[in-house]
Amino acid sequence: MAKSRSFFSRGRKVQATERMVTEVESRGLIMHRAGSGDGGEWVIDGRPMLNFGSCSYLGLERHPALLAGAQAALHEFGSNFSISRTYLECPLYEALESALGRVMDRHVVVAPSTTMGHLAALPVIIGDRDLVVVDQFAHASVHMATELIDDVPIELLRHNRTDLLEQKLIEAGDKYERVWYLCDGLYSMLGDFAPFEALSALLARYPRLHLYVDDAHAMSWTGRHGRGAALTHLGHSDRVVVAVSLSKAFGATGGAIALPSAELRAKIRRCGGPLMFSGPIPPAALGAAVASAELHLSPELETIQAELSERVSFVRNELDRRQISLATDEATPIFMIHYDSIPVACSVVSTLRERGIFCCLSAFPAVPINKPSIRFTVSRHNSMADLQTLVDNLAETSAAVSGTSAQSRRHRSTQVLAELETSAAE
Amino acid sequence: MSAALELVAQSDTHPTIARLLDRLYAAISFEEGAEPDWAALRDLFSKHARITRITPEGIDYLSPEAFLDMTHSLFEMGAYTSFYEFELQRRVDQFGNTAQVWSAYETRRNLHAHEALGRGLNSIQLICDGDSWRVLGLLWDETNANPELDVARTFAARTVVARTVVAKDEIGG
Repeated sequence: MAKSRSFFSRGRKVQATERMVTEVESRGLIMHRAGSGDGGEWVIDGRPMLNFGSCSYLGLERHPALLAGAQAALHEFGSNFSISRTYLECPLYEALESALGRVMDRHVVVAPSTTMGHLAALPVIIGDRDLVVVDQFAHASVHMATELIDDVPIELLRHNRTDLLEQKLIEAGDKYERVWYLCDGLYSMLGDFAPFEALSALLARYPRLHLYVDDAHAMSWTGRHGRGAALTHLGHSDRVVVAVSLSKAFGATGGAIALPSAELRAKIRRCGGPLMFSGPIPPAALGAAVASAELHLSPELETIQAELSERVSFVRNELDRRQISLATDEATPIFMIHYDSIPVACSVVSTLRERGIFCCLSAFPAVPINKPSIRFTVSRHNSMADLQTLVDNLAETSAAVSGTSAQSRRHRSTQVLAELETSAAE
Repeated sequence: MSAALELVAQSDTHPTIARLLDRLYAAISFEEGAEPDWAALRDLFSKHARITRITPEGIDYLSPEAFLDMTHSLFEMGAYTSFYEFELQRRVDQFGNTAQVWSAYETRRNLHAHEALGRGLNSIQLICDGDSWRVLGLLWDETNANPELDVARTFAARTVVARTVVAKDEIGG
C-alpha cells in the first residue's frame, strides 16, 4: 500500500530545516569558505587546518594525469561545450563512457552529477506497475529523485532491514511487475555498507526484486578497477542498476549510471530528462574524468587503493585501541562518532577546530535526531603523522567530554536533590 | 468548596494514574532496532483525545490517529532510531473521574545515554471512562524545552500557585 510520503508539508520541512541549519551556522560550525590549501590542509576562516572532511578519498584531484587531461581538454574544446547532448556531444563523452564501461564491466551513461543521474534514470527504469521500496537512510538525492516517480507506490524501509524487505516481497506477491529496492552501497553518513550478502540471497529467491544502488561513496577506492562495493558484490545480477559519483574518490566531476544492458542504457540516454535538457559536463572535467578512468584501468590504482587502506586501518585500529566507539566497524574511509546531545557534539567539533583539525558536525536531518555526531573522513591527502594528530586529539577531546558530562551530571543531580529538599521543607 | 476537590502533589497516592503514565512513557520509548509500542499507544488514549504540540514551526492539533500517523512518519523516515523518554517528576490534581497532571520529562537518545536530548513539561488531562483511566489531552511545548531545564524550580513555583488557588477556594466555600 502506498504510504503518505511525509506527515509534514514541504513548507514546514523547509522552515524546520532552516531553523536547524541556522542554529548550527550561528555556532560557526558550517558554511565555511576555504582559503588556499592542498587537500590535506586548508586555510579555513584564516587559519590552517588539517582536512578530515574530504570525499576525495584517493586524492586524485591533484594527480598529474588528471590535471593534464583537464588542461588538454580545456585547450581543445574551451571552457564549455554549450549544446544539449541530444543534439551534439563533446567526443570526450564517448571516451569516458567507453572507459567507464571497462572499469565497471557494465553499460555506462554519464550524467553531470550523481543526483542528475538519479533524476535521469529512475523515471525511465521504474515501470507503471512497479513497487518502490527505499531505505530510510538512502542518500537524499535518491529520495529527491523518487518525487519524479510518485505515481507508483513508494514505501520506506528501516535501514538495512532485509528481513522487512523480504516481508514486503512476500506481501507484494505478483501484485507488482517488479519490486525495486533503492539503497546506498556505502552510506555517506554512518559509513556502513548495504547488506550485500543478504541482498544477493534475496535476488536469487525473488525474481521480481530489482536493486538500484547509489554507490557514490564506494566508487574508486574499493573493488577491481575501483568499480565500487555494489558491483563487486552484486555485479553478477542483471537486475541491479548502480549509480556512482565521479566527483568523490574518482577525482573528477559528474556521475554515472552502470546498467546491465545496452538497451536500457540507450533508453536512459534518449529519455532521461537531465540528459536531454540540462547542461553537459564542461570539457575540462570530462578530460580529467577520462584520464581518471584510464588510471582506474591501470595497475597504479591498486597501489593507490592500498595506500588509502593503510590509512583507514591505522585510524580504525588506533581508535579501537583507545576505546573510542565508531558508528560502524566497516573498514571504510568514513568515520562517525555518536554523542548524547547536540551541545556535546558541537563542543567536540569546536574543540577540534581550535586545535587545527577540521571535522564535520552531523545533526538532523543528515542523521537521526537521536544520533548527533561528528563525521570525519580519511583520504590519501592525510599523512600518517596527520592521522596520528587526529586520533590523539580525538582521544583527548572524547576524554574531556566524558569528564565534563559526568561532572555536569553530578552537579545537576546534586542541584535537583538540594532544591527538592528545600521545596519539601517549605 | 466541594469536599471532593483534592489537590495532591505526590504521585504515589494515585497508583492507577501512576501506572497509566508509566505505560505512556514506556510505549513511546524504544531501543535501537525496536519501535514504539503502537498498540499500547492506541490503547492509552481516549478516542476523543486531543494531542497538541507547540513547535517553532507551528502548533499541531492532533487526534490520536493523527498523532500515531505523525509518530509513525517520523519513525519511518528515520528521524529517530531509538528514543527514551521518562518522567523526572509528576504532580497530579484529581477531581472524581478527571485528573490534571503536570509531568516533567526528560528525553535521551537511548536508555544508556548519559546526557538529555531535552527536558520539558507534559500537561496531561486524564479521564476515567468507566473502569479505566485514559489520556484525554496531551500538550507540550517544544519551544521552551531544553536539556538544562531546572525541574525542581519549575515544580516548586507551580506548587505555590496551586496552594494559593486552594486557599482562595476555601475562603469562597
